[in-house]
Amino acid sequence: MDYLTEGFIKALHLLVGGHPETFSAIETTLTVTSWSMAASLILGIPSGFLLGYRDFRGKRAVRTVVDTCLAFPTVLIGLLVYAFVSRRGPLGELGLLFTPAAIAVGQTILALPVVIALTATAIESLDRQLRISLLSLGARGRQVLLTSIWEARHGVIAAALTAYGRVLTEVGISMMVGGNIKWHTRTMTTAIALETGKGEFAMGVALGLVLMAIAFVVNVSLAILRKRA
Amino acid sequence: MIYLVEGLRHRYGTQTVLRLDRLTIERHKIVGLIGPNGSGKSTLLRLLAFVEPPSRGRIVYYPEEGNAGNEDARFQVTLLGQEPYLLKRTVLANVAYGLKVRGDTESLEKRAAEALEWVGLPPRAFLRRRWFELSGGEAQRVALAARLVLRPKVLLLDEPTASVDMESAQRIREAALRAQREWGTTIVVASHDRHWLFEVCDGMLHLLKGRLAGTGAENIILGPWRQCGQDLWAKRLEDGQELVLPGAPGPNAMALIPPDRLALEHVLEDSSDSSPASAPYDGACRIAGTLLRLTLERAGGHILATVAVGRSLFTATLPPSRGLRPAPFYPGQRVELIFPAHDVAWFS
Repeated sequence: MDYLTEGFIKALHLLVGGHPETFSAIETTLTVTSWSMAASLILGIPSGFLLGYRDFRGKRAVRTVVDTCLAFPTVLIGLLVYAFVSRRGPLGELGLLFTPAAIAVGQTILALPVVIALTATAIESLDRQLRISLLSLGARGRQVLLTSIWEARHGVIAAALTAYGRVLTEVGISMMVGGNIKWHTRTMTTAIALETGKGEFAMGVALGLVLMAIAFVVNVSLAILRKRA
Repeated sequence: MIYLVEGLRHRYGTQTVLRLDRLTIERHKIVGLIGPNGSGKSTLLRLLAFVEPPSRGRIVYYPEEGNAGNEDARFQVTLLGQEPYLLKRTVLANVAYGLKVRGDTESLEKRAAEALEWVGLPPRAFLRRRWFELSGGEAQRVALAARLVLRPKVLLLDEPTASVDMESAQRIREAALRAQREWGTTIVVASHDRHWLFEVCDGMLHLLKGRLAGTGAENIILGPWRQCGQDLWAKRLEDGQELVLPGAPGPNAMALIPPDRLALEHVLEDSSDSSPASAPYDGACRIAGTLLRLTLERAGGHILATVAVGRSLFTATLPPSRGLRPAPFYPGQRVELIFPAHDVAWFS
């Protein structure tokens, strides 16, 4: 057990001392997850609203597909993105392979079904009278969308946080399309996997602590938001 | 005319819930909608509010200025439901929502305060309250204030007082009538409170199974009916009297009797016939009951008598008083309702 304790103490030293490699992984993680979350929320919230609000032919089939995508293994998404962005793939010319952008694309694909499905559920659970009230007060189109999303804000925030939890902790996509390149595409999770494999527990524990801290901050923020609302 | 409805058919799934061949609603009037649950009142109101389109047929809105069309209705017509949704915001934000939607953001707080006063809620105490700090009656009044602040040309009310306390109900009624009086707002109101509707409405529409059944005071006798002879159907009323009528299309049919076909007679106190009056099917039917209430019908100027037979209520139009003698009826009297069997209309 000593090595664990030692690793924990070393981890604190790395964090307090501003260990460059550790902070590079943290920065890369925060950068790519910010991109992927921004993209998945911009695309996912309106799509989730439409899926939850509108009745259209094939809605059930679309819902089934979205729900199935919730269980997509990250390595499979990594494989798909790899196939598209590798030199021989249709998007090979963009030179995205082993870049943070490729990781962000993969993570967007990972987060999108989560945002869509949970937003749709949040919208579906709204009182049916909301739509009638909004329309009878003169709201249309974008006004109905924004007001409904605001009314379902707890559900939408929960969707975003759930998605963030997934992209923050995934390894498969970052490893396959990011390549785990030091100072460039090494994220916290790929760094933990690598350093643990090398027997370097300290950096792994340090990054694990940061991951837990981020999760804690996010959840506390959510609780405060809920209280204020 | 402010509305014209033509060839309207509205379906939910495979079930047609509303079929109206033609209906007009006049501007500045108060129109009452009555009918049992499931008769299509709420559906009609939603269609008139243009919150959903009819499956077939058309509803045309005629604005006071400009061409007929439904685009103007968006900002001129508003609907208040039985349990309206309040946004998860403050009372001020709720009342001002419709104004903001219209891009009309001038003096929002002042106008919201005025609207709250209309519905009897002191603005100082209520403007900053949040949605969960309101009782059911207060929430309903806030919802009405959110409609009144828009100064609507048409106010559609779907049983607005059904689930609120007496004071709130009174405030809601007064505020709606004031809107009609001061701004000429056309009001279409669905309510189970027939007496209130008779008192305030310029016209009444009676909906039954999605169809227009009359102009308001028609009496409905629901099934089941028991066949007791060739084309004769009997129903035992709650107080034990048996009503026998010809011509029912089936055991679950509804009988409809216009109020002006019901004559009222006193039951003589010395009449020793204690057995329930059995209605003869070949001529005039007779049902005994207790006179509950006399109401002046605003639309026709008639006096309507409400008679309780068990828990069922029947409405009869009293004939105009002859000479200077007032009609000798008053609540509490035992009376008989008499009507010709052939005046009964049936709904299957």
